[in-house]
Order: sequence, then structure tokens, then C-alpha cells
Amino acid sequence: MSAEATDVPSVSLEIDDIQSGALRPRPSPYVGKFFVLRVDDRRDGRAMLRRLLPAVDGGLAGADPDHDAWASVAVTHQGLRALGVPRDSLDSFPLPFRQGMAARAELIGDVGESDPARWEPPFGTSDVHLVVSALSPDAARLEKALERVRTAYQETSGVEVIWQQDIRQLPTGRTTLGFRDGISHPGIEGSGVLGTNPQEAPLKAGEFILGYPDETGNLPPMPQPDVLGRNGTYLAVRKIHTKVAAWRQYLTKNTSSPEEEALLAAKMIGRWPSGAPLTLSPDHDDAELGNDPRRNNDFLYRENDDRGFRCPAGAHIRRVNPRDADIIGAARLHHIIRRGTTYGPPLPEGVLEDDGADRGLIGVFIGAHLDRQFEFIKSEWVNDGNFIGYSGEKDPVAGHHDGTGSVTIPQRPIRRRLQDMPSFVVTRGGEYCFLPGLRALRWLSELDT
Amino acid sequence: MAAMGGATQSAQPERPGRTDGVAGEFTVFCRIKPGHADELREVLDELMDAMGTGDRAALRQIGTLHDARHVIFDNDTQLLFASVFDGSWDTYIDDFATTVVGERFDRVFSHTEGFPGVKDPNVKEWFVAQQEPALVFVSSYPDLTVKQIWKDQRVNEAFQAVLDSSEFQAALENPANKELLASPAFQKLLDQAAG
Repeated sequence: MSAEATDVPSVSLEIDDIQSGALRPRPSPYVGKFFVLRVDDRRDGRAMLRRLLPAVDGGLAGADPDHDAWASVAVTHQGLRALGVPRDSLDSFPLPFRQGMAARAELIGDVGESDPARWEPPFGTSDVHLVVSALSPDAARLEKALERVRTAYQETSGVEVIWQQDIRQLPTGRTTLGFRDGISHPGIEGSGVLGTNPQEAPLKAGEFILGYPDETGNLPPMPQPDVLGRNGTYLAVRKIHTKVAAWRQYLTKNTSSPEEEALLAAKMIGRWPSGAPLTLSPDHDDAELGNDPRRNNDFLYRENDDRGFRCPAGAHIRRVNPRDADIIGAARLHHIIRRGTTYGPPLPEGVLEDDGADRGLIGVFIGAHLDRQFEFIKSEWVNDGNFIGYSGEKDPVAGHHDGTGSVTIPQRPIRRRLQDMPSFVVTRGGEYCFLPGLRALRWLSELDT
Repeated sequence: MAAMGGATQSAQPERPGRTDGVAGEFTVFCRIKPGHADELREVLDELMDAMGTGDRAALRQIGTLHDARHVIFDNDTQLLFASVFDGSWDTYIDDFATTVVGERFDRVFSHTEGFPGVKDPNVKEWFVAQQEPALVFVSSYPDLTVKQIWKDQRVNEAFQAVLDSSEFQAALENPANKELLASPAFQKLLDQAAG
């Protein structure tokens, strides 16, 4: 983890007022929990927030970032209303957040199996008010953080926990699909958070935190009053089920040896299971490279992999983070912080039949602009391919395929084309949340409406 | 209040303008600042000259623009900008603003009334206010994006070059290739090669 302040800030971020859940990188290993709460009484809701405040952490890690736990509290637009936030303030939030994730389903590709009508309750309903999460390197410390959180809501009658989900890193350190994740993290000016790609300049703080200039030179749209917006950010929280058996079956069906299978999977992801990027290791996995945080994200595409013969332009990691690749538009305007965390039991190695278990990830996608970051990435980069010259093609792993899609893998003499792609992921639910700064949380807890 | 505030609104703010297949038209009428018509004409001449010398880098950079025109009319009082984009014109407007394309937009529209600047957060709303949606918009190639057209052009040029090569003639006459030549997919290719 590279969270220590070694760069010279050009803007002064009020880092201790920013919730740790925004900028603090995920530990590895990690264990954690998500709660969804419904606020039935605004006064009780605020009382709970007041009790919760001492348990909510701000800022980055201390001297030893891997040895503590932190809790975060995020609020949906309905949650702000349930807490009694005045109408003019509610109306000052950007449209996507006001509408909520379910209302944006068509735009972001939550269709078919992922349609909000089929989401797991309470997602997509008006009951999702607060999303509280805790993350820790180990179970003992997590329990301490959770105890503080539980104390806050258990003593409050008008607030109810209506959904919870345990998450933890699998013993392999990999996702349910079998790949190391959590590798790429953008650098953020003035925050002390160093990017994991030394070849990319840090992004303006306003790409991630409200109240500071962003990459366009403007301030991100600020909800009012100022005290509520400042040092806040937005989260797209999603529960994504992974169809691990279908993934393995597809790979087996379309290859004729374990080596081919590993290569095809890597071509779809853009990395090998160890995390080694195809652009740096095109022919085989390289565990030493994958395990080395100084090298496993130290690459660009344009100079050595422009055509995508190593990492296809359509591979998952290249679509969602095209770096300097030749694409339509300006990639710097479409970065997010990704914090994927795994839930459910792993499907044992070698098993090709679905065991019916629910497994996947709780994905938290963080940025100051839901529309030109999370939603743009979903609509232009994940669920279309015109930006890389493959109009109509989708992300092989994260795209919502309907069984008819194709995926192009550049190779000589002729490209490989995967046909009749099935979906390997299903959205089980999600919501747009506002992650207020600590002062803003206090302001919310002290509302008098 | 239990109902979701905007749940009944459409996902995207409604952008006017007609679409046909993958492309949409974007037509705006702007009032030219009094006395600015000649300066504007100079800017447009410069842009046109740059195109004349083959400088299409800006168009490549956009990658979604089929065509565009600027017309000064109504006694030097109005500017028409008519264009056709893949998808919606505003999807990439923030992106364009950070490039040379944005500079060009600024140079042109700064001679029109009320233009806030291409980097202004409200520039989309300003354009929408000047926009007049077409009553008719049709495309002869509704399935093709600009990116695909470029690719198709490169493929066809390469294909024609193959047809012109003596090696290809020889391959056609080689009995070893009989099976390939007879396959339906290759027959389709040969059908295009015939004329």
C-alpha cells in the first residue's frame, strides 16, 4: 500500500475531514461488512448519526496502515430526505444521485437478468437510506469497529438494519473468478495517496472530492449548503454476482488445453491470475511480477501495445482504465477509485457445475462526478466498444451480454473473435450514495427540521 | 415523503435532436455579437484553410463527428452550426473541451451572444438553448459509426490492393485453394471482388 504522504501537495486537502472510506486503499488481506439501514424517524436517524460519529474515521492511515479498522457512513438521496434535509438542499444534488441507481438502469446496462425489477431487496426500493461499511485487515479489529457501529444503531428505535453482507478476501488473495484485484489506484493531488502507476500524473483532487478543482479546471457541482457538500464524494455501491461455473465452462468450451484456457481468460481480463499485466508479460503468467506492487501497474499501452496484440483493447482492465491508449475522448476525465470486495464461498478449483451458491463482489466505485465517471464508464466503455473501434462489443467480463455479443482479440495472422458471449456477472442490487465529510455528517446529525 | 424524487424522469436529461441509427443531428442557431461577423468570418476561414492543407487531426481526435458546417446568414446576424455525431453530441463534450477541438469551439462561439466558454459547466445547457431540432434527419448508413467507416475504408483499400496483386491471381488458380474458394464466406468476398 502506498498511502503515505511523500508528494508535495499543490492544493491543501482537508484530509482529516474526508471519510477514510473515500481515499484509503483497501488492505490486503481484508475483512469487512456492509449494512443498509432504513430511517423511519428523522430524529432517531439523527440521534443514531450522532452516536455513530465517533466510530466513523477520517483521513488516511496512521504509521502502520495495515493495523486498524475503519467504518464509513454513506447516505442515499432518499436517506437525506428521511433525515429531514431541507427541500432546496435535496434539489441541489446532481440528477443521477437524485434519481438513484435503479432509475439509471438502462443507461448503465442493468438490463435483462440485472434489471432492478429482479434485484435483491431492499435494493431499488425507497427503503435504502444509509449504507454503513467497515473494513479491516483482520477479524478481531473488524469486530471492534462493528461493535461501535452496532451500539449506535441498536440503541435507536426508529432506525433498522434491513440488509447486511459479510465480505472478506479469499485465502487465495483473488476474486471469485480467480484473479488478483485491487491493483490499480489513481494518484490524487494533494492527498498523499500515490497512484499505483508511476507513469501517470496524479489527478486533480476535484475528480474525487467535492470542494476542489477537477481536471476541467472547474469545481465539481456542489450540493448546498456548502458545509454539507465540502469534502464529500459519491459512491456507486453494487452487489455483483459472478457466474463462476459459466465462466469456467465458457473457457473450457472455447479452448483445447489448460495453457490455451489460461491465455483466453487472461485476454478477457487483461491480466494473469497473479495480477501480472499482459502488456508486460504477454505469453505466460509471471507471479513475481504480479506480486510486485512497484511493477504490476507500471505500464502504458501506446508505445508497446497500441494495437492490443498483448492486451486486447477490449480486455476488461484496458476498457475500464485505458491509460494512454488511442481512444475517443480524454481518459483523465473518466477515472474512478475501485474498491472491490469479495462475498460468498469460492467455487472449488476445477468445479464446472454451478453449486447454486451466491458469490461475487460488493463493488464500491468512488468519484465526484457520477455522470462522467461511473455512468460514462458503464455506458461508453463497458457496454459499448465504439471508443476503441469495436462498435457494439462489450466488456468480456463485466459487460451485460445477452448471448449474442462478440469480442475481438487481436492476433496475427487474423484476429480471434469470440461469439455468442454469455454474461458472467449479474447485478443483484446497488445504489448511489453520498459520502459526506465528517463536518457534514455532524451537520446532518444536528439538523433541526 | 416516500416516493423517489426523479424516478419517473428518463435516465438522461432529454437532449433534443433527431437520431437515425447510431448517429444524431445537432443543429444550433446562435446570434452573432453586433460587429463581430467579419472577425468570425476570419476565424472560420482559418479553420477551413487548415482543413485544406490536410489538417484533419482534430477530426481524428473527435472520432464521432460525421460532418459539420458553420454558416453565417441573416445579414451577418446569425451563425448556424449543423453537425452529425455518433451517439449524443454531449457525451464527449467535456472531453473535447480539454483538447484543440475545445479551443476551436471557443474561437468560433466566443463571437456569439451569451457563450459561456466550452469549459464552463453550463455549456451544455447553453447549447441546448440555442438548438433547433431537425424535423427530418436521415442517414444513408444508419448502422455505421465514424470509427467503423474509417476501418471499412482501410479494409477496402487493402482488399483492392490484394486483388491487384499477381500472387492473388495465382492463388485463385491454385487447385490447393479450391475448397476455400468454394466456401460460402469466400464466395461472398469474391462477389465483392467481381466488380
